[in-house]
Amino acid sequence: MVSWRHARRLVVVGYLVLLVGWPMSLVVQATFADGLDTLARTLGDPAVRSALGLTVVVAASAVVVNTVFGVGMSLLLVRTEFRGKRVLSALLDLPLSVSPVVVGLAIVLAYGQDGWFGPALEDAGFRVVFALPGIVLATAFVSLPLVIREVVPVLTEIGTDEEQAARSLGAGAWPTFWRITLPAIKWAVVYGVVLTMARSLGEFGAVKIVSGNLEGATQTATLLVEQRYQDFDQGAAYATAFLLAAVSVACIVVISFLRPEEKP
Amino acid sequence: MSIEVRSVSKQFGDFHALDDVSVSLPTGQLTALLGPSGGGKSTLLRIIAGLEDADAGTVEIEGRDATRLPAQQRNVGFVFQHYAAFKHMSVAKNVAFGLEIRKVAKEEVRARVDELLRLVHLEQFADRRPSQLSGGQRQRMALARALAVRPSVLLLDEPFGALDAQVRKELREWLRHLHDEFPVTTVFVTHDQEEALEVADEIVVINAGRVEQVGSPDSLYDAPASAFVMSFLGPVTTLDGALVRPHDVELVAPGHGTGGRVARITRIGFEVRVEVRTAAGRTDLTLTRSAARARGIAVGEQVEVALVAGATSVPAPGAVARELLPAR
Repeated sequence: MVSWRHARRLVVVGYLVLLVGWPMSLVVQATFADGLDTLARTLGDPAVRSALGLTVVVAASAVVVNTVFGVGMSLLLVRTEFRGKRVLSALLDLPLSVSPVVVGLAIVLAYGQDGWFGPALEDAGFRVVFALPGIVLATAFVSLPLVIREVVPVLTEIGTDEEQAARSLGAGAWPTFWRITLPAIKWAVVYGVVLTMARSLGEFGAVKIVSGNLEGATQTATLLVEQRYQDFDQGAAYATAFLLAAVSVACIVVISFLRPEEKP
Repeated sequence: MSIEVRSVSKQFGDFHALDDVSVSLPTGQLTALLGPSGGGKSTLLRIIAGLEDADAGTVEIEGRDATRLPAQQRNVGFVFQHYAAFKHMSVAKNVAFGLEIRKVAKEEVRARVDELLRLVHLEQFADRRPSQLSGGQRQRMALARALAVRPSVLLLDEPFGALDAQVRKELREWLRHLHDEFPVTTVFVTHDQEEALEVADEIVVINAGRVEQVGSPDSLYDAPASAFVMSFLGPVTTLDGALVRPHDVELVAPGHGTGGRVARITRIGFEVRVEVRTAAGRTDLTLTRSAARARGIAVGEQVEVALVAGATSVPAPGAVARELLPAR
Protein backbone atom coordinates (compact mmCIF):
# COMPACT_ATOMS: atom_id res chain seq x y z
CA MET A 1 0.00 0.00 0.00
CA VAL A 2 2.37 2.64 -1.27
CA SER A 3 -0.20 5.44 -1.50
CA TRP A 4 -1.27 4.89 2.13
CA ARG A 5 2.32 5.03 3.29
CA HIS A 6 2.85 8.22 1.31
CA ALA A 7 -0.24 9.77 2.84
CA ARG A 8 0.95 8.92 6.34
CA ARG A 9 4.33 10.40 5.65
CA LEU A 10 2.73 13.54 4.26
CA VAL A 11 0.65 13.98 7.42
CA VAL A 12 3.69 13.62 9.70
CA VAL A 13 5.90 15.89 7.64
CA GLY A 14 3.12 18.45 7.19
CA TYR A 15 2.47 18.50 10.92
CA LEU A 16 6.14 19.04 11.75
CA VAL A 17 6.58 21.73 9.11
CA LEU A 18 3.51 23.70 10.15
CA LEU A 19 4.24 23.41 13.86
CA VAL A 20 8.03 23.64 14.02
CA GLY A 21 9.89 24.05 10.74
CA TRP A 22 8.07 26.93 9.13
CA PRO A 23 7.77 29.19 12.23
CA MET A 24 11.41 28.56 13.12
CA SER A 25 12.52 29.35 9.60
CA LEU A 26 10.66 32.66 9.86
CA VAL A 27 12.76 33.55 12.93
CA VAL A 28 15.90 32.85 10.93
CA GLN A 29 14.51 34.81 8.00
CA ALA A 30 13.66 37.80 10.18
CA THR A 31 17.13 37.74 11.74
CA PHE A 32 18.94 37.76 8.42
CA ALA A 33 16.43 39.93 6.51
CA ASP A 34 19.13 42.61 6.08
CA GLY A 35 22.16 40.38 6.05
CA LEU A 36 24.29 40.25 9.18
CA ASP A 37 23.48 43.83 10.22
CA THR A 38 20.72 43.00 12.71
CA LEU A 39 22.77 40.27 14.32
CA ALA A 40 25.87 42.49 14.57
CA ARG A 41 23.88 45.43 15.94
CA THR A 42 22.16 43.20 18.51
CA LEU A 43 25.42 41.66 19.66
CA GLY A 44 26.84 45.15 20.06
CA ASP A 45 24.08 46.06 22.51
CA PRO A 46 25.46 45.81 26.09
CA ALA A 47 22.04 44.76 27.47
CA VAL A 48 21.92 41.84 25.05
CA ARG A 49 25.47 40.84 25.88
CA SER A 50 24.72 40.99 29.57
CA ALA A 51 21.54 38.91 29.10
CA LEU A 52 23.35 36.26 27.05
CA GLY A 53 26.17 36.13 29.60
CA LEU A 54 23.72 35.77 32.47
CA THR A 55 21.86 33.01 30.64
CA VAL A 56 25.10 31.09 30.11
CA VAL A 57 26.10 31.48 33.78
CA VAL A 58 22.63 30.43 34.98
CA ALA A 59 22.41 27.45 32.64
CA ALA A 60 25.91 26.29 33.55
CA SER A 61 25.16 26.56 37.28
CA ALA A 62 21.88 24.68 36.89
CA VAL A 63 23.67 21.96 34.92
CA VAL A 64 26.36 21.55 37.59
CA VAL A 65 23.84 21.50 40.45
CA ASN A 66 21.47 19.11 38.70
CA THR A 67 24.22 16.78 37.53
CA VAL A 68 25.76 16.38 40.97
CA PHE A 69 22.42 16.06 42.77
CA GLY A 70 20.84 14.16 39.89
CA VAL A 71 23.46 11.40 39.92
CA GLY A 72 23.38 11.30 43.72
CA MET A 73 19.59 11.09 43.84
CA SER A 74 19.58 8.42 41.14
CA LEU A 75 21.99 6.27 43.15
CA LEU A 76 19.83 6.79 46.22
CA LEU A 77 16.67 5.81 44.34
CA VAL A 78 18.07 2.75 42.61
CA ARG A 79 20.67 1.37 45.03
CA THR A 80 19.02 1.87 48.40
CA GLU A 81 15.73 1.02 50.04
CA PHE A 82 14.05 3.51 52.33
CA ARG A 83 10.58 4.49 53.45
CA GLY A 84 8.88 7.02 51.24
CA LYS A 85 10.96 6.15 48.19
CA ARG A 86 7.92 5.99 45.94
CA VAL A 87 6.67 9.33 47.19
CA LEU A 88 10.06 10.88 46.51
CA SER A 89 10.16 9.36 43.05
CA ALA A 90 6.73 10.82 42.28
CA LEU A 91 7.76 14.22 43.68
CA LEU A 92 10.70 14.31 41.29
CA ASP A 93 8.31 14.63 38.38
CA LEU A 94 6.61 17.63 39.93
CA PRO A 95 8.94 20.21 38.35
CA LEU A 96 7.97 18.89 34.91
CA SER A 97 4.25 18.90 35.54
CA VAL A 98 3.88 22.14 37.48
CA SER A 99 3.82 25.40 35.55
CA PRO A 100 7.14 27.28 35.87
CA VAL A 101 5.17 30.37 36.96
CA VAL A 102 4.07 28.45 40.04
CA VAL A 103 7.69 27.45 40.68
CA GLY A 104 8.70 31.11 40.50
CA LEU A 105 6.00 32.15 42.94
CA ALA A 106 6.94 29.36 45.33
CA ILE A 107 10.57 30.46 45.37
CA VAL A 108 9.62 34.08 46.00
CA LEU A 109 7.39 32.95 48.86
CA ALA A 110 10.10 30.78 50.42
CA TYR A 111 13.18 32.94 49.87
CA GLY A 112 11.70 36.42 49.31
CA GLN A 113 11.68 39.24 51.81
CA ASP A 114 8.52 37.97 53.46
CA GLY A 115 9.52 34.32 53.12
CA TRP A 116 10.84 31.89 55.67
CA PHE A 117 14.53 32.14 54.88
CA GLY A 118 14.57 35.46 53.04
CA PRO A 119 15.08 37.90 55.94
CA ALA A 120 17.69 35.73 57.63
CA LEU A 121 19.62 35.31 54.38
CA GLU A 122 19.36 39.02 53.65
CA ASP A 123 20.75 39.86 57.09
CA ALA A 124 23.67 37.62 56.26
CA GLY A 125 24.24 39.71 53.13
CA PHE A 126 22.97 37.03 50.76
CA ARG A 127 20.20 38.05 48.42
CA VAL A 128 18.28 35.25 46.72
CA VAL A 129 15.19 36.67 45.03
CA PHE A 130 15.72 39.32 42.31
CA ALA A 131 19.36 38.21 42.14
CA LEU A 132 21.50 35.51 40.55
CA PRO A 133 20.95 32.81 43.25
CA GLY A 134 17.17 33.01 42.78
CA ILE A 135 17.46 32.71 38.99
CA VAL A 136 19.75 29.69 39.34
CA LEU A 137 17.41 28.19 41.94
CA ALA A 138 14.36 28.59 39.71
CA THR A 139 16.17 27.21 36.67
CA ALA A 140 17.57 24.26 38.59
CA PHE A 141 14.08 23.55 39.94
CA VAL A 142 12.42 23.30 36.54
CA SER A 143 15.20 21.16 35.04
CA LEU A 144 15.67 18.98 38.14
CA PRO A 145 14.32 15.62 36.87
CA LEU A 146 16.08 15.58 33.48
CA VAL A 147 19.36 14.01 34.61
CA ILE A 148 17.60 11.69 37.08
CA ARG A 149 15.14 10.41 34.50
CA GLU A 150 18.01 9.55 32.15
CA VAL A 151 20.27 7.94 34.74
CA VAL A 152 17.76 5.90 36.78
CA PRO A 153 16.82 3.40 34.02
CA VAL A 154 20.47 2.86 33.08
CA LEU A 155 21.47 2.29 36.71
CA THR A 156 18.62 -0.18 37.07
CA GLU A 157 19.63 -1.98 33.90
CA ILE A 158 23.35 -2.35 34.64
CA GLY A 159 22.57 -3.97 37.99
CA THR A 160 25.00 -4.32 40.89
CA ASP A 161 27.23 -7.18 39.73
CA GLU A 162 30.06 -4.98 38.49
CA GLU A 163 29.94 -2.80 41.59
CA GLN A 164 30.01 -5.86 43.83
CA ALA A 165 32.89 -7.32 41.85
CA ALA A 166 34.80 -4.08 42.39
CA ARG A 167 34.03 -4.22 46.11
CA SER A 168 35.24 -7.79 46.42
CA LEU A 169 38.45 -6.73 44.63
CA GLY A 170 39.11 -4.22 47.37
CA ALA A 171 37.59 -1.00 46.01
CA GLY A 172 35.78 1.23 48.51
CA ALA A 173 32.57 3.14 47.77
CA TRP A 174 34.28 6.15 46.17
CA PRO A 175 36.70 4.30 43.82
CA THR A 176 33.85 1.96 42.86
CA PHE A 177 31.72 4.95 41.88
CA TRP A 178 34.46 6.70 39.88
CA ARG A 179 35.92 3.69 38.15
CA ILE A 180 32.91 1.40 37.66
CA THR A 181 29.53 3.12 38.09
CA LEU A 182 30.26 6.47 36.47
CA PRO A 183 31.80 5.04 33.27
CA ALA A 184 28.77 2.74 32.95
CA ILE A 185 26.24 5.60 33.21
CA LYS A 186 28.42 8.11 31.35
CA TRP A 187 26.23 8.49 28.28
CA ALA A 188 23.04 8.77 30.30
CA VAL A 189 24.66 11.58 32.30
CA VAL A 190 25.83 13.34 29.13
CA TYR A 191 22.36 13.06 27.63
CA GLY A 192 20.78 14.37 30.83
CA VAL A 193 23.27 17.27 30.90
CA VAL A 194 22.46 18.28 27.33
CA LEU A 195 18.72 18.16 28.03
CA THR A 196 19.20 20.15 31.23
CA MET A 197 21.25 22.73 29.39
CA ALA A 198 18.65 23.12 26.63
CA ARG A 199 15.86 23.41 29.18
CA SER A 200 17.82 25.90 31.33
CA LEU A 201 18.68 28.17 28.41
CA GLY A 202 15.02 28.40 27.44
CA GLU A 203 13.47 28.85 30.90
CA PHE A 204 11.15 31.83 31.02
CA GLY A 205 8.20 31.67 33.40
CA ALA A 206 9.90 30.90 36.71
CA VAL A 207 12.82 33.22 35.94
CA LYS A 208 10.50 36.06 35.00
CA ILE A 209 9.00 36.03 38.49
CA VAL A 210 12.16 35.59 40.59
CA SER A 211 14.60 37.69 38.56
CA GLY A 212 13.02 41.13 38.70
CA ASN A 213 13.83 41.41 34.97
CA LEU A 214 16.29 44.27 35.45
CA GLU A 215 17.93 45.08 32.12
CA GLY A 216 21.69 44.63 32.18
CA ALA A 217 21.58 42.96 35.60
CA THR A 218 19.01 40.21 36.14
CA GLN A 219 17.52 39.97 32.68
CA THR A 220 18.15 36.63 30.97
CA ALA A 221 18.07 36.11 27.21
CA THR A 222 14.50 34.80 27.09
CA LEU A 223 13.26 37.75 29.16
CA LEU A 224 15.10 40.12 26.86
CA VAL A 225 13.45 38.60 23.80
CA GLU A 226 10.01 39.18 25.28
CA GLN A 227 10.77 42.73 26.35
CA ARG A 228 12.34 43.78 23.07
CA TYR A 229 9.47 42.24 21.17
CA GLN A 230 6.96 44.23 23.18
CA ASP A 231 9.06 47.40 22.81
CA PHE A 232 8.86 47.01 19.00
CA ASP A 233 12.62 46.31 18.78
CA GLN A 234 11.83 43.24 16.69
CA GLY A 235 15.34 43.00 15.21
CA ALA A 236 16.99 42.40 18.58
CA ALA A 237 14.17 40.07 19.61
CA TYR A 238 14.56 37.93 16.50
CA ALA A 239 18.34 37.90 16.62
CA THR A 240 18.45 36.84 20.30
CA ALA A 241 15.75 34.27 19.68
CA PHE A 242 17.81 32.97 16.80
CA LEU A 243 20.86 32.59 19.04
CA LEU A 244 18.84 30.69 21.63
CA ALA A 245 17.42 28.44 18.94
CA ALA A 246 20.89 27.90 17.46
CA VAL A 247 22.23 26.66 20.81
CA SER A 248 19.27 24.29 21.14
CA VAL A 249 19.83 22.96 17.64
CA ALA A 250 23.51 22.51 18.49
CA CYS A 251 22.41 20.50 21.57
CA ILE A 252 20.25 18.27 19.39
CA VAL A 253 23.10 17.77 16.94
CA VAL A 254 25.45 16.86 19.78
CA ILE A 255 22.94 14.33 21.08
CA SER A 256 22.38 12.75 17.68
CA PHE A 257 26.12 12.29 17.38
CA LEU A 258 26.37 10.80 20.86
CA ARG A 259 23.41 8.45 20.61
CA PRO A 260 24.87 5.79 18.30
CA GLU A 261 27.89 5.51 20.59
CA GLU A 262 25.67 4.55 23.46
CA LYS A 263 25.93 0.88 22.56
CA PRO A 264 29.64 0.02 22.56
CA MET B 1 39.69 -24.32 59.00
CA SER B 2 39.78 -21.60 56.40
CA ILE B 3 36.15 -20.53 56.60
CA GLU B 4 34.10 -21.03 59.73
CA VAL B 5 30.39 -20.20 59.49
CA ARG B 6 28.53 -20.33 62.78
CA SER B 7 24.73 -20.22 63.26
CA VAL B 8 24.12 -17.91 60.33
CA SER B 9 20.52 -16.92 59.62
CA LYS B 10 19.21 -14.67 56.90
CA GLN B 11 15.68 -13.61 56.09
CA PHE B 12 14.33 -11.78 53.06
CA GLY B 13 10.94 -10.53 54.19
CA ASP B 14 9.09 -13.64 55.34
CA PHE B 15 11.40 -15.96 53.47
CA HIS B 16 14.04 -17.82 55.50
CA ALA B 17 16.95 -18.01 53.07
CA LEU B 18 19.24 -19.45 55.75
CA ASP B 19 18.15 -20.91 59.06
CA ASP B 20 20.87 -21.39 61.67
CA VAL B 21 23.54 -22.67 59.28
CA SER B 22 26.94 -23.75 60.59
CA VAL B 23 29.64 -25.14 58.35
CA SER B 24 33.45 -25.43 58.34
CA LEU B 25 35.28 -25.24 55.05
CA PRO B 26 38.81 -26.66 55.20
CA THR B 27 41.89 -24.83 53.90
CA GLY B 28 43.15 -25.60 50.43
CA GLN B 29 40.14 -27.63 49.40
CA LEU B 30 37.60 -27.31 46.65
CA THR B 31 34.17 -27.35 48.26
CA ALA B 32 30.81 -27.37 46.50
CA LEU B 33 27.67 -25.86 47.98
CA LEU B 34 25.08 -28.02 46.29
CA GLY B 35 21.32 -27.66 46.38
CA PRO B 36 18.20 -26.72 44.48
CA SER B 37 17.52 -23.14 43.35
CA GLY B 38 16.28 -20.92 46.16
CA GLY B 39 17.74 -23.24 48.78
CA GLY B 40 20.03 -20.58 50.23
CA LYS B 41 23.43 -21.69 48.89
CA SER B 42 24.13 -18.46 46.96
CA THR B 43 23.03 -16.41 49.96
CA LEU B 44 25.53 -18.31 52.13
CA LEU B 45 28.32 -17.66 49.61
CA ARG B 46 27.43 -13.96 49.42
CA ILE B 47 27.43 -13.71 53.22
CA ILE B 48 30.92 -15.27 53.31
CA ALA B 49 32.04 -12.70 50.71
CA GLY B 50 30.45 -9.80 52.60
CA LEU B 51 28.13 -8.94 49.73
CA GLU B 52 25.20 -9.69 52.00
CA ASP B 53 24.83 -9.24 55.76
CA ALA B 54 23.73 -12.09 57.97
CA ASP B 55 20.85 -11.38 60.35
CA ALA B 56 22.52 -13.55 62.98
CA GLY B 57 25.65 -15.66 63.33
CA THR B 58 29.34 -15.15 62.58
CA VAL B 59 31.73 -15.71 59.70
CA GLU B 60 35.43 -16.33 60.28
CA ILE B 61 37.94 -16.29 57.44
CA GLU B 62 41.46 -17.60 58.08
CA GLY B 63 40.97 -17.31 61.82
CA ARG B 64 39.83 -13.67 61.63
CA ASP B 65 36.28 -12.63 62.54
CA ALA B 66 34.90 -11.18 59.30
CA THR B 67 31.25 -10.82 60.32
CA ARG B 68 31.35 -7.01 60.40
CA LEU B 69 34.08 -6.59 57.80
CA PRO B 70 33.01 -4.91 54.53
CA ALA B 71 33.53 -6.91 51.33
CA GLN B 72 36.57 -4.90 50.24
CA GLN B 73 38.50 -5.83 53.37
CA ARG B 74 37.86 -9.58 53.36
CA ASN B 75 40.42 -10.43 50.68
CA VAL B 76 38.14 -12.91 48.96
CA GLY B 77 37.96 -13.47 45.23
CA PHE B 78 34.41 -13.61 43.94
CA VAL B 79 33.28 -14.92 40.56
CA PHE B 80 29.72 -14.19 39.44
CA GLN B 81 27.42 -16.33 37.32
CA HIS B 82 27.07 -13.59 34.71
CA TYR B 83 30.80 -12.70 34.76
CA ALA B 84 30.34 -9.10 36.04
CA ALA B 85 33.02 -8.04 33.56
CA PHE B 86 33.94 -4.35 33.66
CA LYS B 87 32.57 -3.63 30.19
CA HIS B 88 34.39 -0.36 29.59
CA MET B 89 37.83 -1.81 30.36
CA SER B 90 40.10 -4.08 28.35
CA VAL B 91 40.66 -7.66 29.50
CA ALA B 92 44.08 -6.71 30.90
CA LYS B 93 42.59 -3.72 32.78
CA ASN B 94 39.89 -5.96 34.22
CA VAL B 95 42.51 -8.33 35.60
CA ALA B 96 44.63 -5.43 36.85
CA PHE B 97 41.75 -3.73 38.70
CA GLY B 98 42.29 -5.23 42.15
CA LEU B 99 46.04 -4.59 41.95
CA GLU B 100 45.59 -0.98 40.86
CA ILE B 101 43.17 -0.40 43.73
CA ARG B 102 45.89 -1.74 46.04
CA LYS B 103 48.35 0.70 44.45
CA VAL B 104 50.75 -2.03 43.38
CA ALA B 105 53.70 -0.74 41.31
CA LYS B 106 53.05 -0.56 37.55
CA GLU B 107 55.70 -3.08 36.45
CA GLU B 108 54.53 -5.54 39.05
CA VAL B 109 50.91 -5.16 37.89
CA ARG B 110 51.94 -5.79 34.30
CA ALA B 111 53.93 -8.88 35.23
CA ARG B 112 51.12 -10.30 37.36
CA VAL B 113 48.49 -9.61 34.68
CA ASP B 114 50.63 -11.32 32.04
CA GLU B 115 51.12 -14.29 34.31
CA LEU B 116 47.40 -14.64 34.99
CA LEU B 117 46.34 -14.16 31.39
CA ARG B 118 48.72 -16.97 30.45
CA LEU B 119 47.25 -19.11 33.21
CA VAL B 120 43.71 -18.68 31.84
CA HIS B 121 44.88 -18.87 28.19
CA LEU B 122 43.80 -15.34 27.32
CA GLU B 123 47.21 -13.77 26.67
CA GLN B 124 46.33 -12.90 23.05
CA PHE B 125 43.10 -11.19 24.16
CA ALA B 126 44.68 -8.71 26.60
CA ASP B 127 43.60 -5.62 24.65
CA ARG B 128 40.11 -6.83 23.73
CA ARG B 129 36.93 -5.67 25.38
CA PRO B 130 34.97 -8.27 27.38
CA SER B 131 32.13 -7.96 24.84
CA GLN B 132 34.48 -9.42 22.21
CA LEU B 133 34.99 -12.61 24.24
CA SER B 134 32.85 -15.75 24.39
CA GLY B 135 31.06 -16.67 27.62
CA GLY B 136 33.72 -19.20 28.60
CA GLN B 137 36.52 -16.71 27.93
CA ARG B 138 34.74 -14.02 29.95
CA GLN B 139 34.43 -16.37 32.90
CA ARG B 140 38.12 -17.26 32.68
CA MET B 141 38.89 -13.54 32.66
CA ALA B 142 36.71 -13.09 35.75
CA LEU B 143 38.60 -15.90 37.42
CA ALA B 144 41.97 -14.32 36.57
CA ARG B 145 40.68 -11.00 37.92
CA ALA B 146 39.64 -12.63 41.19
CA LEU B 147 42.95 -14.53 41.53
CA ALA B 148 45.09 -11.47 40.73
CA VAL B 149 44.86 -10.11 44.26
CA ARG B 150 45.94 -13.44 45.78
CA PRO B 151 42.72 -13.91 47.76
CA SER B 152 42.75 -16.10 50.84
CA VAL B 153 39.58 -17.77 49.56
CA LEU B 154 38.04 -17.97 46.12
CA LEU B 155 34.24 -17.97 45.93
CA LEU B 156 32.37 -18.86 42.75
CA ASP B 157 28.61 -18.37 42.43
CA GLU B 158 27.25 -20.80 39.79
CA PRO B 159 30.36 -20.01 37.74
CA PHE B 160 29.38 -22.18 34.78
CA GLY B 161 25.63 -21.69 35.00
CA ALA B 162 25.37 -19.34 32.03
CA LEU B 163 27.51 -21.46 29.69
CA ASP B 164 26.44 -24.14 27.26
CA ALA B 165 26.96 -27.82 28.11
CA GLN B 166 30.21 -28.38 26.20
CA VAL B 167 31.98 -25.28 27.56
CA ARG B 168 30.69 -26.08 31.04
CA LYS B 169 32.32 -29.47 30.98
CA GLU B 170 35.63 -28.10 29.70
CA LEU B 171 35.70 -25.30 32.24
CA ARG B 172 34.99 -27.47 35.23
CA GLU B 173 37.76 -29.88 34.31
CA TRP B 174 40.00 -26.89 33.85
CA LEU B 175 38.97 -25.49 37.27
CA ARG B 176 39.84 -28.84 38.86
CA HIS B 177 43.29 -28.83 37.24
CA LEU B 178 43.83 -25.20 38.18
CA HIS B 179 42.98 -25.98 41.77
CA ASP B 180 45.33 -28.98 41.85
CA GLU B 181 48.08 -26.67 40.63
CA PHE B 182 47.27 -23.67 42.87
CA PRO B 183 45.41 -25.00 45.90
CA VAL B 184 43.70 -21.80 47.09
CA THR B 185 40.67 -22.54 49.28
CA THR B 186 37.78 -22.55 46.84
CA VAL B 187 34.02 -22.67 47.39
CA PHE B 188 31.62 -22.88 44.49
CA VAL B 189 27.87 -22.90 44.34
CA THR B 190 26.08 -25.23 41.96
CA HIS B 191 22.71 -26.88 41.50
CA ASP B 192 24.26 -29.49 39.19
CA GLN B 193 25.05 -32.67 41.18
CA GLU B 194 27.26 -34.02 38.41
CA GLU B 195 29.38 -30.87 38.55
CA ALA B 196 29.71 -31.16 42.32
CA LEU B 197 30.53 -34.87 42.25
CA GLU B 198 33.10 -34.42 39.51
CA VAL B 199 34.93 -31.34 40.74
CA ALA B 200 34.64 -31.05 44.52
CA ASP B 201 36.76 -32.53 47.31
CA GLU B 202 33.88 -31.94 49.66
CA ILE B 203 30.19 -31.25 49.15
CA VAL B 204 27.84 -29.32 51.41
CA VAL B 205 24.22 -30.12 50.50
CA ILE B 206 21.93 -27.20 51.29
CA ASN B 207 18.17 -27.29 51.03
CA ALA B 208 15.44 -24.95 52.29
CA GLY B 209 17.97 -22.83 54.19
CA ARG B 210 19.54 -25.72 56.07
CA VAL B 211 22.59 -27.92 55.69
CA GLU B 212 21.38 -31.42 54.83
CA GLN B 213 24.74 -33.19 54.81
CA VAL B 214 28.46 -32.53 54.50
CA GLY B 215 30.94 -35.02 53.13
CA SER B 216 33.12 -36.25 50.30
CA PRO B 217 31.38 -36.98 46.99
CA ASP B 218 31.75 -40.72 47.60
CA SER B 219 30.41 -40.67 51.13
CA LEU B 220 27.44 -38.55 50.07
CA TYR B 221 26.65 -40.83 47.17
CA ASP B 222 27.14 -44.06 49.12
CA ALA B 223 25.73 -43.01 52.48
CA PRO B 224 23.16 -40.27 51.99
CA ALA B 225 21.73 -38.98 55.27
CA SER B 226 18.26 -38.38 53.92
CA ALA B 227 15.90 -39.14 51.07
CA PHE B 228 16.51 -35.59 49.85
CA VAL B 229 20.28 -36.00 49.59
CA MET B 230 19.88 -39.39 47.93
CA SER B 231 17.44 -38.16 45.31
CA PHE B 232 19.36 -34.92 44.69
CA LEU B 233 22.67 -36.65 44.05
CA GLY B 234 21.49 -39.12 41.46
CA PRO B 235 18.58 -41.06 39.96
CA VAL B 236 16.39 -42.95 42.42
CA THR B 237 13.54 -45.43 42.34
CA THR B 238 11.58 -47.29 45.00
CA LEU B 239 11.67 -50.96 45.89
CA ASP B 240 9.70 -52.42 48.79
CA GLY B 241 9.22 -49.02 50.44
CA ALA B 242 12.88 -48.02 50.18
CA LEU B 243 14.55 -45.37 48.03
CA VAL B 244 17.28 -47.06 45.97
CA ARG B 245 19.42 -46.37 42.92
CA PRO B 246 18.19 -47.92 39.64
CA HIS B 247 21.67 -49.31 38.97
CA ASP B 248 21.53 -51.13 42.33
CA VAL B 249 18.45 -53.11 41.27
CA GLU B 250 18.92 -56.40 39.40
CA LEU B 251 16.78 -59.05 37.83
CA VAL B 252 16.95 -62.26 39.90
CA ALA B 253 15.85 -65.87 39.54
CA PRO B 254 12.22 -66.68 40.50
CA GLY B 255 11.70 -66.93 44.25
CA HIS B 256 14.58 -64.57 45.13
CA GLY B 257 12.94 -61.14 44.80
CA THR B 258 9.82 -59.06 44.32
CA GLY B 259 7.64 -60.11 41.40
CA GLY B 260 6.43 -57.74 38.70
CA ARG B 261 5.75 -57.23 35.01
CA VAL B 262 8.01 -55.36 32.60
CA ALA B 263 6.00 -52.28 31.57
CA ARG B 264 8.51 -50.45 29.41
CA ILE B 265 12.04 -50.69 28.07
CA THR B 266 13.99 -47.60 26.98
CA ARG B 267 17.49 -47.67 25.57
CA ILE B 268 19.68 -44.58 25.93
CA GLY B 269 23.09 -45.16 24.41
CA PHE B 270 24.91 -47.87 26.38
CA GLU B 271 22.22 -47.99 29.04
CA VAL B 272 18.91 -49.87 29.05
CA ARG B 273 16.21 -48.62 31.43
CA VAL B 274 13.57 -51.13 32.47
CA GLU B 275 10.35 -50.12 34.22
CA VAL B 276 8.82 -52.91 36.29
CA ARG B 277 5.30 -52.77 37.77
CA THR B 278 5.20 -54.55 41.12
CA ALA B 279 2.33 -54.97 43.58
CA ALA B 280 3.77 -52.03 45.62
CA GLY B 281 4.15 -49.72 42.63
CA ARG B 282 6.91 -49.05 40.13
CA THR B 283 10.58 -50.00 40.23
CA ASP B 284 13.08 -48.79 37.64
CA LEU B 285 16.35 -50.55 36.98
CA THR B 286 19.19 -49.98 34.56
CA LEU B 287 21.21 -52.63 32.77
CA THR B 288 24.14 -52.26 30.46
CA ARG B 289 23.34 -52.86 26.84
CA SER B 290 25.33 -56.11 26.79
CA ALA B 291 23.71 -57.44 29.97
CA ALA B 292 20.24 -56.73 28.57
CA ARG B 293 21.15 -58.45 25.32
CA ALA B 294 22.69 -61.51 27.04
CA ARG B 295 19.63 -62.03 29.22
CA GLY B 296 16.99 -61.10 26.69
CA ILE B 297 14.12 -59.03 28.09
CA ALA B 298 10.75 -58.06 26.63
CA VAL B 299 7.79 -55.89 27.57
CA GLY B 300 5.06 -57.87 29.34
CA GLU B 301 7.47 -60.46 30.75
CA GLN B 302 7.06 -61.57 34.37
CA VAL B 303 10.29 -60.91 36.31
CA GLU B 304 11.59 -60.69 39.86
CA VAL B 305 13.75 -57.80 41.08
CA ALA B 306 16.03 -57.41 44.12
CA LEU B 307 18.78 -55.12 45.39
CA VAL B 308 22.42 -56.00 44.71
CA ALA B 309 24.63 -56.70 47.72
CA GLY B 310 25.92 -53.53 49.39
CA ALA B 311 23.34 -51.29 47.73
CA THR B 312 22.54 -47.87 49.21
CA SER B 313 18.99 -47.39 50.40
CA VAL B 314 17.05 -45.00 52.60
CA PRO B 315 13.38 -45.15 53.62
CA ALA B 316 11.25 -43.65 50.86
CA PRO B 317 9.62 -40.32 51.86
CA GLY B 318 6.14 -41.88 51.69
CA ALA B 319 7.27 -44.74 53.94
CA VAL B 320 8.81 -42.29 56.41
CA ALA B 321 5.55 -40.40 56.62
CA ARG B 322 3.68 -43.62 57.31
CA GLU B 323 6.14 -44.63 60.02
CA LEU B 324 5.76 -41.25 61.70
CA LEU B 325 1.99 -41.62 61.93
CA PRO B 326 0.90 -42.52 65.47
CA ALA B 327 0.10 -46.22 65.81
CA ARG B 328 -3.60 -46.94 66.11
